[in-house]
Amino acid sequence: MTKFLFKTLIAMLVMIASHHALAQTAAPTASATASDVAALRQQVEALTGTVKELQQQVKDQQAALEKANIVQLPQGQGTSSAASAPLPTPLPGTSAQESFPTTDSSVVSNAPTAPGTPAVNANGTATGQFPTTDESVVATPAGAISSATSAPPTETSTGSLTQPITIAGGGKNYMNISFDGMFALAGSSARDLSHIEVGDHDPQQRGFNARNIELALDGAVDPYFEGFANIVFKLDNDNATEVEVEEAFMQTTNLPFGLQLKGGQFFAAFGRLNPMHPHVWDFADDALVHGRLLGPDGLRGVGAQISWTLPTPWYSQLILAAQNGRGSTGFSFRNPGDNGIFFGRETTDREVRGLQDFVWIPRWENSVDLSPTQVVLAGVSGAFGSNETGANARTQIYGADVFYKWKSSHAEGGFPFVKWQSEVMYRRFEAGRGVDETFPVAETFHDWGLYSQVLWGFRKGWVAGLRGDYLHMQNSRFTDDADRQSRSRISANLSWYPTEFSKLRLQYNHDFLESNFFLADREVDSVFLQFEFILGAHGAHKF
Amino acid sequence: MISNTVTPSRAKGGRGPLKSPSFAPGDSLAALGMTGPRRSVVENLNSKINMKNSLRSHVVGGIVDPGSRHQRCRLQLFAAALTLLPVIASAKINVVATLPDLGSLARDIGGDNVSVTVLAKPTEDPHFVDARPSFVVALRSADLLIDGGAELELGWLPPLLQNARNPKLDIGKPGRVQASRGVRLMNVLANVTRAAGDVHALGNPHFGVDPIIGKAIAQHIAQSFSAIDPGNAAAYEANYKKFEAAINAKLQQWGAALLPFKGQHIAAYHDSWPYFGHRFGLEIDIFLEPKPGIPPSPSHLAEVIAQMKAQKIKAIIVEPYHDRKIAERVASATGATVVDFAQSPGALPGTETYIKLIDALVSRLAAALK
Repeated sequence: MTKFLFKTLIAMLVMIASHHALAQTAAPTASATASDVAALRQQVEALTGTVKELQQQVKDQQAALEKANIVQLPQGQGTSSAASAPLPTPLPGTSAQESFPTTDSSVVSNAPTAPGTPAVNANGTATGQFPTTDESVVATPAGAISSATSAPPTETSTGSLTQPITIAGGGKNYMNISFDGMFALAGSSARDLSHIEVGDHDPQQRGFNARNIELALDGAVDPYFEGFANIVFKLDNDNATEVEVEEAFMQTTNLPFGLQLKGGQFFAAFGRLNPMHPHVWDFADDALVHGRLLGPDGLRGVGAQISWTLPTPWYSQLILAAQNGRGSTGFSFRNPGDNGIFFGRETTDREVRGLQDFVWIPRWENSVDLSPTQVVLAGVSGAFGSNETGANARTQIYGADVFYKWKSSHAEGGFPFVKWQSEVMYRRFEAGRGVDETFPVAETFHDWGLYSQVLWGFRKGWVAGLRGDYLHMQNSRFTDDADRQSRSRISANLSWYPTEFSKLRLQYNHDFLESNFFLADREVDSVFLQFEFILGAHGAHKF
Repeated sequence: MISNTVTPSRAKGGRGPLKSPSFAPGDSLAALGMTGPRRSVVENLNSKINMKNSLRSHVVGGIVDPGSRHQRCRLQLFAAALTLLPVIASAKINVVATLPDLGSLARDIGGDNVSVTVLAKPTEDPHFVDARPSFVVALRSADLLIDGGAELELGWLPPLLQNARNPKLDIGKPGRVQASRGVRLMNVLANVTRAAGDVHALGNPHFGVDPIIGKAIAQHIAQSFSAIDPGNAAAYEANYKKFEAAINAKLQQWGAALLPFKGQHIAAYHDSWPYFGHRFGLEIDIFLEPKPGIPPSPSHLAEVIAQMKAQKIKAIIVEPYHDRKIAERVASATGATVVDFAQSPGALPGTETYIKLIDALVSRLAAALK
């Protein structure tokens, strides 16, 4: 289209030129009458008008093309210099005499635009405008900035994706939506895998398991809050669907002094494993100490949290949350247990009496860079509240965690790396005599455990892992709970991430369960083949 | 590096909640119960302790300003005590750049008036930088953040900003420079599917290596510096003009050096060079990766080798974090040369600045194509 116009234009110009020549040669000759001259003049004027019209058309065409974001690659060859319409920059180095072009409007939009009317190209990207003249830099820098600010952002300020693709296309929707399906094929020497695996999202039966299928939503609520929701669907061993509102919370984005408030249903910031969603765990199942002390679903609940990043030269953050701590997601706290029985006691199931019935969860975490390739993050956490085994029974849990990561300075796709993560937890559980004091004794359990794991991302997409677990549950001659069995475990796995959106993992576990007053010792071997996919824009994960 | 004077304009436009543009002057001080006389005490104190900038650069894991490291441990405690004061003025604009090329431009424009901290290492894959907590510390006290935009840092910058809680760096504030603004991105896809590999919905974000775009980014940076620190606007402007003139002059050299190879096809490990190719009239359009981000498979490499032989391709571009051995295998099978390229200054020897980097890219490629 444009070429055709150019050709027409050139043809017209040639005609004008010849007419001009005719007029010039005709005028001096005596034979030319005044009317002839006038007629010629009219013709010339008409032609000039046509040319101007055509020039305008060409300009309009180019503007339209640019608006449509058709990147006009420079095409200097073959275009006539007779055309006065603005042409794309000639191809670099078209001729040795010409100087190499130092501007290129096809890649940088430097056309001055009125402030406040940001240019946006067809795909919604802000093209912005940086006046190239000196005046804009010196005299009206604020104006230049403010015109840019009203342009739509190229990235949502609070949205967080691992990958640059949102469902409706980059940055053009109000929230990120992702869907994660995680499955496992399990084999085990134990017939009761649900008693061996301590996490609710771990494989719970021999054969296929679908324990964590989640829908995650996040985005900026408004200029003050961002919101996040994680809805988990899982299939029980009879393939019936269960739904969990795993997390749904809002948090502030704009508080001063490094403060942040959070409210809703959320994972307690206790240690490292607890606040992580199972699909980012490095193993196919939960650590023993986490599952047994904080609960199969982890410690999470409805509540509020305040956090403060300290103004220290290293990373240091204080976090304090209060949660209801009721039900199975407040496992060691106000948990009525299965059928109203917890650790053998008939539980009281009561409303909050006062602040002492909330679970209070403080955490202090610190991080330093040991070198440009090595980072250490360490924290201490606590969880304090009431439990339901007696009128005034209390629970205290303490934890310490350390995480180390080395990543190559030449990492591709985040590989290679080595990371080491360890957590130790201790729980003091006052087991009362139950509702109406029907249980024979009141006991205090001192339970503790730890795990330590090393992951080695040895080449792009491949990770080998090794984990050791130990759990000590205080022996009791009164409480025959099957979960109160001390045990240790060694696990090894190999994961392959074809991309960051899919995963295959093969894991082997060897369990040693110790005997106690009620249970015999036994060893269990288990193998899991875990597979996972992620669709959509999934929130980027914290370090 | 350390100045003992705090000019009034800097005290207002520097770091800390006091000077945040979203606050009315004095608001946060009032909230702290700090009014008139105490405020001036704080400022006086601050003028004595504005060495904090240089301290901070030591504890951030990325590439930091050159400075002495040996004092770090001793001074950390001292700095900790000092930084407990929430309101501390500093002489320099505290700039954080996500990537080394942006950091280089910021140094060129800011000169001695800014202190630049770069997060990503020049040799690592810019899409997969760890969101390490020390970056939060850097961002928390930054006056200005320069990022690539166009979803380049999408995998790691959002959680950092979430945790940094620094409203000065919000998109739309003068403290946020997104390099992609004003840049027409190439390879914008009408439809995106991850079946095509790691594609970018907004277009290819590796635009920094086009010197003309580099100028635009530098100008954007100069404008933002001027907005934040109007007292030094003239210096920023002068630095930009100097940079622009240098690029304009260099473009003549670079253009001449690559002119003989105009229109030649070149192979690359990953599709991150369309802007460089476009600038210098080169067709960098054969890739060792079958799809962006997908590791080369033997069958794809066989096809590439056949294609390279047929087209007599002379060069294979690899970046520091790519598997060079694969490129070497292809090179030995085809007679091509492996050319080490990088998007970031500092990734190749002798390329500490943006201009030196482009110098190196042009001369390396010209040598390989000869």
